[in-house]
Amino acid sequence: MTTTASSNRTTIEVAGTQVEMFSGGSGPPLLFLHGAGGNAGWQAYHEELAKTYTVYVPSQAGFNGTERPEWLYTITDLCHFNHAMVEALGLKDYVLMGSSMGGWVAAEMAAMCRANLKALILVGAAGIKPDKSEIAEIFMVSAQTRTAQRFHDISQVPNREDYEGEPTAEEQLVAHSNQEMASRLCWRPYLHNPSLPYYLGRVDTPTLVVWGRQDAIIPLECGELFEAAMPNAQLRVIENCGHSPGLEKPAEFLSAVNAFLAGL
Amino acid sequence: MTEVFWFSEQPYGHVTDDDLAGYESGRMHFPNTYFDPEKAHVLYSNYHDQYALADEVGFDGIMSNEHHSSYWCMKPSVNVDAAVIAKVTKNVKIAMLGNVIALNDPVKMAEEIAMLDCISGGRIISGFVRGTAVETLHAGISPTENRDRFEEAHDLIVKCWTDPGPFRWEGRYFPHRMVNPWVVPIQKPHPEIWFPGTGSPESVIWAAKRMYPYMNLGSLLDLTKQLKDIYFETAREEGYEPGPEHFGYLIRCLVADTDERAQEVGRTFLWTETHRQRGPIEFNDPPGYQSREALRIKQSRPTIGTGTIGRRMGYEELQDAHNIIVGSPETVIQKLRYIKQTLDPGYLLIYGNEGDMPHEDVMRSVELMGTKVIPAVKED
Repeated sequence: MTTTASSNRTTIEVAGTQVEMFSGGSGPPLLFLHGAGGNAGWQAYHEELAKTYTVYVPSQAGFNGTERPEWLYTITDLCHFNHAMVEALGLKDYVLMGSSMGGWVAAEMAAMCRANLKALILVGAAGIKPDKSEIAEIFMVSAQTRTAQRFHDISQVPNREDYEGEPTAEEQLVAHSNQEMASRLCWRPYLHNPSLPYYLGRVDTPTLVVWGRQDAIIPLECGELFEAAMPNAQLRVIENCGHSPGLEKPAEFLSAVNAFLAGL
Repeated sequence: MTEVFWFSEQPYGHVTDDDLAGYESGRMHFPNTYFDPEKAHVLYSNYHDQYALADEVGFDGIMSNEHHSSYWCMKPSVNVDAAVIAKVTKNVKIAMLGNVIALNDPVKMAEEIAMLDCISGGRIISGFVRGTAVETLHAGISPTENRDRFEEAHDLIVKCWTDPGPFRWEGRYFPHRMVNPWVVPIQKPHPEIWFPGTGSPESVIWAAKRMYPYMNLGSLLDLTKQLKDIYFETAREEGYEPGPEHFGYLIRCLVADTDERAQEVGRTFLWTETHRQRGPIEFNDPPGYQSREALRIKQSRPTIGTGTIGRRMGYEELQDAHNIIVGSPETVIQKLRYIKQTLDPGYLLIYGNEGDMPHEDVMRSVELMGTKVIPAVKED
């Protein structure tokens, strides 16, 4: 887990549940939602975004070893919980960015309620079932396979040692809880909601869809489907890049995001 | 008094280590193109002959089970196998160990088991199992749901058997607004419920709290003794005095006319053993399959290990540990007496064949057990 001196790790209470929260920077709010692998903490690209935004990086309910609210079983439940979190943080005109499963959650949250939502950034987002390809299996595979799927070329990842080293016992427990929670939320239908494309037809929020061309988990076709489904979305494809553009191609990723944010 | 049950996994014995070696796991990835239905037809017939003979020669019961995506168990439905047992036998109890109730509609399970109880004239023992994690994965169900689905299915099945219909059931996983199964069991209030396990203390505690007999599936003796102690402690906490009738033990066992022949045939108990559960932890213990509470119990009892079927001990070592018992009737009687003295199980479940053991040797083993071994073991 990467953290820097400029981020705070705190706990906030949302709907009676304690939520782990990293935050930093100043300016208008940007809420980042992590993917099925859990909250990897304050990353270098969060640090960059924090130069112009107040960036919030929560561990979503049940992830990173935190307690799952007893009533929270589904992505829809999680979206309602996250809306409560947005209210608890008092976010006004916020940018909602989600990666992978977090992108799916962000899209569903936008379909559910767009009050105070200024813009949406979906990065390698789950949520839509592709027609011509398949979302890769991420649960019934080994940890090594998962890492291999995630990056197009791990040598491009500045902090590659975070993904290649042997996890500590504590990191293993955190990874276990993340997989448990993701299995609960995403197993069936697998990493998508068949109705989501239809919900998204009404979501006219300015939206950036960012995808690594070589994404081996959620294929680029899904990015094209998000762009087609949403009336105000633009797709930016990053070349020679896998499922985590913010980690594998941070400069290109930030350039795409900053250009979009500057145009709002 | 120990009751002795016959058990066969009904393996597809034509598979070899070489067949399995190239695949990522021994179950989900091992392709079913290795399965030949014509060969399976012959094998099923043999296994059913073994059932009929076990009944004739005096076994108290026959145990059966169910697995999916497994070359070593050709039984994707324990209820289908129990129906066969009911018709090819006359006297034995039929212990299903059991139905993977988290993965099926509990009302249909209740109906099928009740039907089996009626067909067999009240000979059914209804085991309920969580299954290995692969059963859940194969069913397409999130491993995180297995525990809650199991609990709800258990409660609904028992209600189907004991409460007059129609009634309403508004559970999370199996909602039914009109439940009214026509067929109910012969045995009242319902067939006995058994619960199996290998190494998990959580399973033992679950069974003991409900006074359900716990069947240990072949763990090493010292671990099994610890698990039995946990059962007995829990039972006393619950306010009843447990006895042998609450505890059974599965053991791999083969009898032949001579020790030499038994040693030769019995070696097949280790058939493809390194491949059976081979696969990443995501297959065998995926996150969420066990509750966080189960993990906590495991951590608080560091001596509790995992089940031993499939653990890599050699043939001789396993025999020294009384985990595999093979020999002439005299040898086997002596070793089973040791098991009895050590564990005092009310039920001895004989895991009696494996892999491609010759059918004739298995039939002879059944006969020698029935005529010589079982009477001697019961005498004590």
